Amino acid sequence: MDWKNFNSPQDGGRGDWGQQMPPSISETLNKVRQVFKGRGPSVWIIVAIIFVLWLLTGIYIVAPDEKGVVLRFGKFVYETGPGPHWHLPIPIESVLKPKVTQVRRIEIGFRTVRVYPKPRYKAVLAESRMLTGDENIVNIEFIVQYLIKNARDYLFNVRDQSKTVKDAAEAAMREVIGKNSIDDALTTGKFKIQKDTQQLLQQILDSYKAGIQIKTIQLQDVHPPTEVMHAFKDVASAKEDKNKFINDAYGYRNDLIPKAKGRAAEILNEAMSYKATKIKKAQGDTTRFLKLLSEYEKAKDVTKKRLYIETMQDILPEMDKVIVDTSIGERSYPLLPLSSFQKSTPKP
Amino acid sequence: MKKATIIIISVIVIIIGLNLCLFVVHQTEYALLIQLGKPVKEVLKPGLYFKIPFIQNVAYFDNRILLVDAAPAEVLTKDKKNLVIDNFFKWRITSPLRLYRSLKNEAGAAARLDDIVYSELRVDMGIHTMTEIVTKYRGQIMKTVTKKSNEKVKPYGVEIIDVRIKRADLPEQNEKFVYGRMKAEREREAKKYRSEGREAALRITAEADRDKAIILAEAYRKAQTIKGEGDSKATKIYAEAYQKDPEFFEFVRSIEAYRKCLKKKTTLILSPRSEFFRYLQKVE
Repeated sequence: MDWKNFNSPQDGGRGDWGQQMPPSISETLNKVRQVFKGRGPSVWIIVAIIFVLWLLTGIYIVAPDEKGVVLRFGKFVYETGPGPHWHLPIPIESVLKPKVTQVRRIEIGFRTVRVYPKPRYKAVLAESRMLTGDENIVNIEFIVQYLIKNARDYLFNVRDQSKTVKDAAEAAMREVIGKNSIDDALTTGKFKIQKDTQQLLQQILDSYKAGIQIKTIQLQDVHPPTEVMHAFKDVASAKEDKNKFINDAYGYRNDLIPKAKGRAAEILNEAMSYKATKIKKAQGDTTRFLKLLSEYEKAKDVTKKRLYIETMQDILPEMDKVIVDTSIGERSYPLLPLSSFQKSTPKP
Repeated sequence: MKKATIIIISVIVIIIGLNLCLFVVHQTEYALLIQLGKPVKEVLKPGLYFKIPFIQNVAYFDNRILLVDAAPAEVLTKDKKNLVIDNFFKWRITSPLRLYRSLKNEAGAAARLDDIVYSELRVDMGIHTMTEIVTKYRGQIMKTVTKKSNEKVKPYGVEIIDVRIKRADLPEQNEKFVYGRMKAEREREAKKYRSEGREAALRITAEADRDKAIILAEAYRKAQTIKGEGDSKATKIYAEAYQKDPEFFEFVRSIEAYRKCLKKKTTLILSPRSEFFRYLQKVE
């Protein structure tokens, strides 16, 4: 901050006095002569008015977001809060009014080109690119918000305040990132990085007694360099692939197991029906047999013969029959062209 | 009238006189009274001071903490790697007199300090490896450099408060190498995820296949047991019934079997002497 310029409005350009002298003196003298010719005692009134006006140069108003810092011959004397105040007139005392509640903002790694109508940003790679603890390179864009903690320290202890905050913030961020891995920076570690950086930055600024309070450090955009972006994105899709593979497998299982259970139930039911059928059949068969048997026992021979003949009668009409005498049959049997019997059916 | 003119003129003369004799040292400044080119008195406290007009003049120096943002420079680390170091340092003037004598003014001091800090930084970088600089030793290096350069700058009436490494990055040609490595690491990671996925999927499907086989085998076991029960019960029923007349059972079962087995297209060679044809030959 340029103090000479800062003070000059109130100072009334004291350095130029010598040069303005000749015209101002003759003018004033003329005026004074005229006044004296007219009315004698009023000269004192004019002197008094000038004196009062001079006193009035000491009036100043401190806005609600400001703090008044009063200097007497360049030396700090006291601070005042918001409201109208009076200090000893210029050039004895002067006042500085820093805005203490205003939150100041510094962008690191990017610059806002415009906010309206559509926000546009410009990356500043030299600021954002940094080395991580595992010797990877990562781009980190962040903002620092700070306000004045102590007006006196802020004004008098450090020159180039905002550049100091910016440089110290860059140094702090890199120091913190240097202790973290790239995965921390890209994913889960963000909150901790913000916190650690804020703490370190505050510590640095306090060591300068800068009178600055860091409000927040906010990571805006953290991304790997464009040169390797593709590989990083592929890791993300690999993670998705992994889940997809697993889900597909569960899908397969969910399809397979119920089917198998269904099939098992089918097999069991089939077995039970087999069992029931078997038993019922046995019961049926035996009941029939026993019924038949009870009749058979009453007339064994006749029944047996009847059954035999009936059976033969039932089955023989369907078949090709060759009736050969046993004596011939025994001799010729191996030579019989069996197929010929099947075509022409010589019946006895 | 005369009286008033005299008053006004004398007031003006007094103001001019005071302006020549007095000077203000601001809260943020030190001042040095220089008498005919020779520094005579340091003013370290702010306020209003006297000087002898025309003979003495005043040089002002900033007493705040000042910043020098050095230009980025390449340094060589212990493991022969190049690093681009961009540092800044904070310093302040402690004695305007000594500063004026040695380096004349703030700009001169800043240039000299920059040289000193840079050379100290180079020395200290040379005894650490790149990893050490980037990671854990950064704070320590900065402290050492601050301390060492502070000893060297004392005669100039200045003090170095803090040396900070703002950036410690790799030169461009080395960055390519790092990108290659990063890419390889990520590809490995991606591959790991995919094969983990395949492994898990395979395990799940294999388990499913196994479960299926077990379910079916268990079903088969149960089915066979049930069937066996059926068979045994049926057998028991048959046996109990047929035991009553085994011979008749054999007969009945046989003729039933004939009915079933001897179907069309069966060629039966019969002897006329068989039981069935007994009456075909003669009636006994």
